[in-house]
Amino acid sequence: MNDYDDTTPHDPEHAALQARLRALPAERVPPARVWQAIATQLPPMPRPSADVQRPRATRAPRRRWPLRVGLGLAAALGVLMVVPMPAPRTPPPTLVQRQAEAMAAEYQQAMAALPPTQVGGDWQPALHELDSSADHIRAAIAENPRSRVLLSQLQRTYALRLELTQQAVMAAAGLPS
Amino acid sequence: MHTSLRLIAALGLLLPLAAQAATRVDERAPLGAGGRVELSNIAGKVSVRGWDRNEVALSGSMADGLTLKQDRSTNRVRWEVVYPRNGNNGGATLELRVPRAVEVQLGTVSADIDVAEVNVRRLQANAVSGDIAATGRSGETALTTVSGSIRSQVQTPRLDLRAVSGSVQATGGSGEVAAETVSGSIKLDAGRVQRLGAEAVSGSLNVAAAGLAPGGKVTLQTVSGSIGLQLPRSVSAQLSVKTFSGDIQSDAGTVERPRYGPGRSLEAKLGGGDGDITINAHSGNVRVGLGAR
Repeated sequence: MNDYDDTTPHDPEHAALQARLRALPAERVPPARVWQAIATQLPPMPRPSADVQRPRATRAPRRRWPLRVGLGLAAALGVLMVVPMPAPRTPPPTLVQRQAEAMAAEYQQAMAALPPTQVGGDWQPALHELDSSADHIRAAIAENPRSRVLLSQLQRTYALRLELTQQAVMAAAGLPS
Repeated sequence: MHTSLRLIAALGLLLPLAAQAATRVDERAPLGAGGRVELSNIAGKVSVRGWDRNEVALSGSMADGLTLKQDRSTNRVRWEVVYPRNGNNGGATLELRVPRAVEVQLGTVSADIDVAEVNVRRLQANAVSGDIAATGRSGETALTTVSGSIRSQVQTPRLDLRAVSGSVQATGGSGEVAAETVSGSIKLDAGRVQRLGAEAVSGSLNVAAAGLAPGGKVTLQTVSGSIGLQLPRSVSAQLSVKTFSGDIQSDAGTVERPRYGPGRSLEAKLGGGDGDITINAHSGNVRVGLGAR
């Protein structure tokens, strides 16, 4: 049954018409001359030339990319400047650095244990030189924190500084070194 | 009037000299081969000369107020210049004569030490700010100064030189040679060595050796000081050089650099590769030369 069954009266003529309608194919393509007639009745469409239309269709998206990227970068930079970022992690001290720190602490303790005596002027330049050298070696260890050679140099410098300080203290006290 | 002023001025200049030359020293003591003589003097100068007698002699002069303390036993003689606690106007200038094959120990603070014409079993000299100069022969030699310099031409099979800020220069050492400074420079021209070691922090090392005994070792280390090593081309050793930021130049081997990060290194087999030559510098440059010195 189709959609017309409930809206038409039940007479013989109408039934015959319905039978003819059912016999028609479900889809019918209008003949070509019908479309031509329709086309002549339609108003003309404004069509731009192909030279102008093609660039608009292809270039517009490309032009938007730099703008989008620039805006994105600016936004990211703004976030970086405004939002506090965590500080970059410093690497943990190496074994050589830990040993150098321990050595420095032991050296300071040993120096503190010496009696506070004004050492003679003959000793002063060398003692200052050793202090400066110890700083120099520690700076080198900071640059090359896995160098055992530098650690042994630091050990030698601290040992020499202690030994000479002891001798200088003994000399200042008038004792044989 | 002018004559009087000149006379007063001359007297003023001569008075300190007269005070310094107040005491003469003239001591002698028997000492045979194998014995030991020790001399301690803070300021002035100490000279040591050898002779062919079985006795030691000490001569010279001491400033006013200084006294000489002597301690003697059969095989040992010790002299010490004693300085007054309240200071003094000068030091002592002393000459020590020593027999052959004895052991000599010298200690000073600012006094220079000059050793020559000796042939001893062992020579040991320590100074603080005084310079040390030594020639002669010794079975074993140890020279140490803190801020003074060391110049050694002692023919010795065992040489040990140590300074802090002073420079070290030595020829004549062979066998076992060691030298250390902190900021001073080291210049060694050694004979054939079994062990050769030199260390400095900021001071430079300039080392040469006439040969390396089989299985011998050469070890050179600095932090920022440069290192130069010169060996004969016939040397047999494994050469290993490492620096952190210093340059390496070598007549043998190729300098390697890591693809990422600092550091340079060089490994090379010299001759048969019997001994070991190890060189380490942090930021100092290294130069290894092979061939005629």
